[in-house]
Order: sequence, then structure tokens, then C-alpha cells
Amino acid sequence: MLSLETYELANGLRVVLNEDHSAPLVAVNLWYHVGSKNERPGRTGFAHLFEHMLFSGSENVGNNEHFRYVQSVGGVLNGTTFFDRTNYFETLPSNYLALGLWLESDRMGFFLPALTQEKLDIQREVVKEERRQRYDNVPYGTAFERLLNLAYDPDYSYHWPTIGSMEDLQAASLDDIREFFATWYRPDNCTLTLVGDFNTSEAKQLVEQYFGDIAPGGAFPQFTLERQPQKSERRETFASRVQLPRLYQLYHLPKMGAPEWIHADLLTTILAADKASRLERSLVHEKQIAQDVATYVLPTESTGILLLQATAKEGVPIETIEHAIDEEIARVVRGGITEDELTRAKNRAEIEFAHQVENYDSRADLIGMLATYFDDPHILNTWLEPYRAASAADLASVAKDFLTPENRATSLFLPEVAA
Amino acid sequence: MSAVDRSSAPEAGAPRPYHFPHIHRTTLDNGLHVLIAENHNAPIVALRTIVKSGADHDVADLAGLASVTADLLDEGAGSRDAIKLAEDVGLLGGALGTGADWDATYMSIEVLSRTAPEAIQILGDVSFRATLPADALERVRSERLMDILQQRDEPAAIAGKRFAGLLYGTGAYGNPIIGTSASISKMTLEDVRRFYAQHYIPNHSSVVVSGDVTPDEAVRLVSDAFADWKRGPEPPRPAPQPRNLETSRIYLIDRPQAVQSEIRVGHVGVARASEDYFAINVMNALLGGIFNSRINLNLREKHGYTYGARSTFAFRRSAGPFVVSAPVRNEVTRESVEEVLAELRRIRTGDVEPRELDETKSYMMGVFPATVQSASDIASRLLDMELYSLPEDYFDRYRENIAAISRDDIARVANKYVDPDRALIVIVGNAAQVREPLGTLGMPLHEIDVEGNQIVG
Repeated sequence: MLSLETYELANGLRVVLNEDHSAPLVAVNLWYHVGSKNERPGRTGFAHLFEHMLFSGSENVGNNEHFRYVQSVGGVLNGTTFFDRTNYFETLPSNYLALGLWLESDRMGFFLPALTQEKLDIQREVVKEERRQRYDNVPYGTAFERLLNLAYDPDYSYHWPTIGSMEDLQAASLDDIREFFATWYRPDNCTLTLVGDFNTSEAKQLVEQYFGDIAPGGAFPQFTLERQPQKSERRETFASRVQLPRLYQLYHLPKMGAPEWIHADLLTTILAADKASRLERSLVHEKQIAQDVATYVLPTESTGILLLQATAKEGVPIETIEHAIDEEIARVVRGGITEDELTRAKNRAEIEFAHQVENYDSRADLIGMLATYFDDPHILNTWLEPYRAASAADLASVAKDFLTPENRATSLFLPEVAA
Repeated sequence: MSAVDRSSAPEAGAPRPYHFPHIHRTTLDNGLHVLIAENHNAPIVALRTIVKSGADHDVADLAGLASVTADLLDEGAGSRDAIKLAEDVGLLGGALGTGADWDATYMSIEVLSRTAPEAIQILGDVSFRATLPADALERVRSERLMDILQQRDEPAAIAGKRFAGLLYGTGAYGNPIIGTSASISKMTLEDVRRFYAQHYIPNHSSVVVSGDVTPDEAVRLVSDAFADWKRGPEPPRPAPQPRNLETSRIYLIDRPQAVQSEIRVGHVGVARASEDYFAINVMNALLGGIFNSRINLNLREKHGYTYGARSTFAFRRSAGPFVVSAPVRNEVTRESVEEVLAELRRIRTGDVEPRELDETKSYMMGVFPATVQSASDIASRLLDMELYSLPEDYFDRYRENIAAISRDDIARVANKYVDPDRALIVIVGNAAQVREPLGTLGMPLHEIDVEGNQIVG
């Protein structure tokens, strides 16, 4: 049982404290409840570009000084953006807790005075290089983007990836940045989590000192996201510069945390986690038609996602792979799974969770996620219970109900044929 | 409550002490070193075997042998076949990993601590009772050939391979760890079994147990599981034959669809055992080793040429490469190479601000505890101690060794170990777009293909 203390400042900032003295470190972690889902078509990539801007200084912290302050005392830091949230975090020697709070509160409350066109222009170029490096210049790099385009309608904002499009990045203006900041970067849209070597009452005082005087924002904009149920499979075939054909599939699931999502999480372990798992054993080990196969669920808030991908060996038609995977899923639906398989999947869930809780930084991040998505960080202490309670029948029924062609998008990457 | 002064960074509190976990050591009768670090923070035990031979022993003909052998370890061991092995490790709540690096081969199992006894037995089987079945070699061979095929399209993989090949030729450190299509195609089961018999011996290996277990129990379990491992003659250490350039040269590999150039600039570096290890590390952190280093700030934050640039000294048992790497957009390829070379020149002049040096040292001294939080992190550090024969008090004296580095040291090691006038420059990119600008740098420019063959124009 981890002891968590949760409270709110008068301005709405949610604070979660987990005092733990096993190492002389403190993890400072902020989850802002805003991500690429809050973007609109024509302005994609904005939440992530904004994350870059938040490292470029604030009223009392110069350009690039945020990194400098943290690194020069032996801290490690970063930030990430996803559909539903943006997080910022640093792990510091514990005697520098106040430094972390000073830096984070300065950019939460006093970011705009330091904003310049020059900083935006540089970070825009950096982000464009990030897109080239991760998406455009590598084989299969645009697969996830293509799959999202296919799986979600254009008005559902999982339709585009967090990185955004080159055109939209180019169009982002200083006014956009100002408005985005004012709308979303505010104490009442944030969870601050501290894990590590501090005294809880001293930490509370510091948090109040640094964050207490930051004003909450006004009303949040109306924002709803409803996914229209999918009636039939969505498919595409795409030729590009790759050596081997690869299948990408996205299955829609209920939201993260729903029983079906948890059962699907366990099911992915049974399907593809090691040589004994169904798909790997059948396609890679025995039939040797696939080079690799992977499947996993994503930690998304607005709707649930199960991804599956498999690479065909040279000369094997991608349809052969697809049929073999469908047959293995049908076998789960028909014949169920064994108790041994279920035990292995539960054990793996247990050790993965133990790993996440082991380090202060990943523990703080997990707490931030639970607070942000479920409004209750204390779920941390019961997170594994639905995993332990799952039955073989639960897993078979999630396969039957959700791993169906009508409920998926399929994108096939094929090698370009030379003209 | 009175308003806080935000105008400057708050004062630090008093530092809290940090101690690396106590390391229990023992050596079994067969010569196997056993290292144990007890830590009950999580219900996890991280287990490792390290064999002190890796791809450094590969010869061109059989490039990839160390890593293919490592891949076969989980294809059957003791009385279990591949599937049974995966099933049983899964029942223990764990995962089994095996792989070869340049200097060593690693086996790892991480399990819930309640199942550590069975896991140690399995680790023993994998370490010296691997069955190395023939059908598994064929499967691994076929997968490996596909991996190699796929890498032909991956710019970072191409750049890394060609850089190593041009620097080390076909000897140690020059061949791709995963092998070449020619070497993988001709590898036989006898080759694998010979490598396993010759190198996987207890007096050339170490076992690490880290996490939620008592030293007494760990020693008992490891002694039980590894006692039957038979000694062998210590294999000879390979000696890389690097080829240093007389003057800087550019090798360009065309990737017609590229929207970025993968740049590598460097030369042969230094062995891990160098007496200048700490000074080089501080110098490199300042130069390009961390986010706030000169090269990254220049290319990324000043110019917006790249998402990230860095420099690395690959400290191995023999001298690994020193390399600056950066993916940059096509249009600024020449400018990026120039900026990198300029930073390499500048670091040699001794132009280092006291604050810059202090902050870099302070980073390196302070960051250590954050990098060794988990049982698995600690296990990796113990393996390094074994592989590079680090002294027993290495982690305790780490901070003072960094603190002792002066501005003169930085200039001295930069001049000794960084040489922008004899740099090997490898660029994987859109030749039609970057060929001409690169030509204006005044260095010989050779065009080679993905396999490293010279293109005759």
C-alpha cells in the first residue's frame, strides 16, 4: 500500500504527495489535461509544439535555462504530449525540490511575458525535424498516422497524430500560442505529483508558496468528443519504400480502465508477448510466415485502442498473415484460453506494474495519469485488482465482442514495385 | 502567507547522503564471479549472466556469430524447448532476454521475487545448458536475413554500419553486430556450438543478483544452479585494427527519397581503461553528451537544424569510436557539418567558461542516484564493474573523480582525443541535393553504396 495525500489548492491545482525516503531524490511531475485531442483540423500539432515552447523560458527563467537549471544540479527532465494530456517532469536530488517547484510554477503562471516570435520560429523548425526523423524519413514511419486517419472520422480529434502536419506547424502563430496557453495552462487543469524524499508538511508549504498565487482561468471552452460507432471494416493499402509488407490494425475498445479494456490488455499478452504466446508461436515460430508480431493497448482517455502489427517474411503475401491472425483470434473465441495462459498474463501485468512503481519518476507519472483520467490517484493501490479477478471467459468474450473485422481499421504497407 | 521571491532560483537545502548498495561478492570453485546487491524497494529480482565475449570476437566471414549464438540461448536449455522455456519464465512472472553487444553477451531474467529460486535455475540452464537446436538456427537465420534486409532502408542503421566499417575494416568492431547477409547465410551449427563451448565458461563470466533477496539465499541459489558449469581456457582478447585517416574525408551514401541527412563525424576514440576516462567524460558532456551541451544547443536551439545532436565516446575494452551524430534536414547538411567541426575545434582551444565546467561536473555528480533507482539499473552497473574490472570503491569515489577535473584537463583531453582534421564523415542522404554543397567543404568526397562499395562515376 502506498500512502498518498491528495488535496487541492484554492486555485484548483490538484496536488498528490507520496513521501518515500528510500532514495535521496524527488520526482516533480505535472499532468496538464490537454493534448492533441483539443486541437482542431487546420491547427494540428499544436499541443506538442506548445510543449516545446514551454522549455524556452518564462518571466524569471531565460531561454534554455530551464534545462540548464535542472541539469546543472544533477536532475533529469523532459515533457511528452499525447492525445489527451501533456506531462512535464523532472527528477532532482531531493534538496532541490524548491527549484523544481519554482521552475514549474514560473512557466505555469508567468510564461507569456517571455514569449517571442524568434523562439517560436526555432521550435517550429525543431519540431519539423522531429517529424522528419520519426515519421517521414524512416520506413513505416507514417503508419500510425495513416491508421488514425482511417480509424477516426475527420471531426474526431484522434484522426491526426500528436506531431501534426507540416502545413499546420508552419501556420502556427504567436497568437495561437497565447490563446492556447490562456485556455489550458492553468492550475485548475493540472495535477502536480511529488514522489520521494521530502517531508509532507514542508512540501505542502512550498507548493502553496509557489503555486498558490497563480490565478485559475475562466470557464473552459465547451469541448465534446463523441466517436460515431463504426459499422464496417475500414481498409487501405499503401505502397512505399519498405522491404517487407506489414499489417497495421486498430481495434476500437471501451475507454482505458473499463473492464473490457483491462481484459483486452491481458489478452494482448496471451496473443503476442513471448515465444509461448499465440501469434508469435504460430506465425513466427511454427509457420515462419511472419518476421515479427506485436499487439498492445494504448493508455488513452477518450476511447480505447488496441493496436496490432505484423511483418510478413519476404515472399509471403500479407493476406496470408492477416488470415492467420484472424484464425488465431477465432481460436480464442471458439476454444477459449487455458488457465496457464491466464496466470502468465496476470503475472506479467503484476511485474510490469511493480516496475512502474519501483522508480519515483514512473510512479509519479502513473499517479498523474490516474488523477487526470479517473479523478482518483488512489486507484494506484487497487489497479491490479481487476487484473487479478479476470477469468478466461472474460478474455474470450472481449475477443469475441471487440476483435472483429467490423470493429477495426486495417492498413497494409506494401513494398513499392519498381516502375 | 507572504509572496515568494520568484526573481531568482531558490537556495538548495542540505544535500542528503547517497550510498550505492553494498555489493556482496563471492567466487565459485569453477571461477564464476557472483555479485549481489540487496534492495527491498520492489518485489522484483533482476538476474543477469554476462559472458565477457561479444561481437568483438566476430570475424568478417562469420560476422554476427556472437549475436546469433545469443539469440539461440532461449531456443532451448536443459530439459526445456523454446516454448516450454517461455511458458515457465512467464509463469514466474518474468521475461527472458539474451543478446550480444560489442564486448560481451548478456542473459537476463527479471521476476517477482517470490519466484527467484526457479528463475535462477533457468538462468543456469540458459548460461551453460543451451541445447542450440538445428531447426532454431534455421529460423534465427531466416529472421536475421530479413532484419538485415529491412536495415537497408533505415538511415540511422546504414550510417552506423558504414561508419564502423570505414573505421575498423573487417576486424573487431568493424562488422555489424547482427552480421551481413553473406556471413549469416553461411553460418553453421558447428560455428555456433564452437563459440558457445569456447566462450561460455564460468571463469570468463559473472552472475549478478539484484533486488528483493538476501545475499545468503542468493549465494546458495546461484551456487546450486551454476556449480556444474565447467571451466575452460580463457579466450584470447581480440585486438581491433582501426584505420585512422590522414585528413578528413566525406563518404556519401545516396538515399534518393531522404528528407533528412544522417550525419556521423568522428574517429577512433579511447578504451574504457583509459586513465583519462573521467576527464574525457566531462569534456564530452560539455561538448555534446547532454541536452544542454554545445553541439545540441548550436544545431538544435540556435539553428533549428535538428531534433537532436549528440557526441559519444564509445568506451569499450579496446578503443571504440568517438562520434557526433545528427539527423538534419537536407538543405542544411553542409552547414551542420561545418558547425560540428567548428565545435570540435573550439573545444580544443581551452575556451571553457568556469560556470559551464562547474555545471557540467555538477550534473554528472548529481545525476548518478537518479540513474540507479531500480533493481535492474543496479544490476547493469554491477555488470559494468565486472566487464571493465572497475575497482571495488568505484561508485563511492565517482564524485571525487569528477570533481577533480579542471579546465586544463578539458583542453588537454580535447587536444589528445578529438581531431577535426582527421575526421571520418559519413552522410546518408539525398545525394542529388547534398552532393554539391558538401563538395564546397574542401575535403575528398567519396560516394559509396549501402554495402560500402565505392561507386565508380
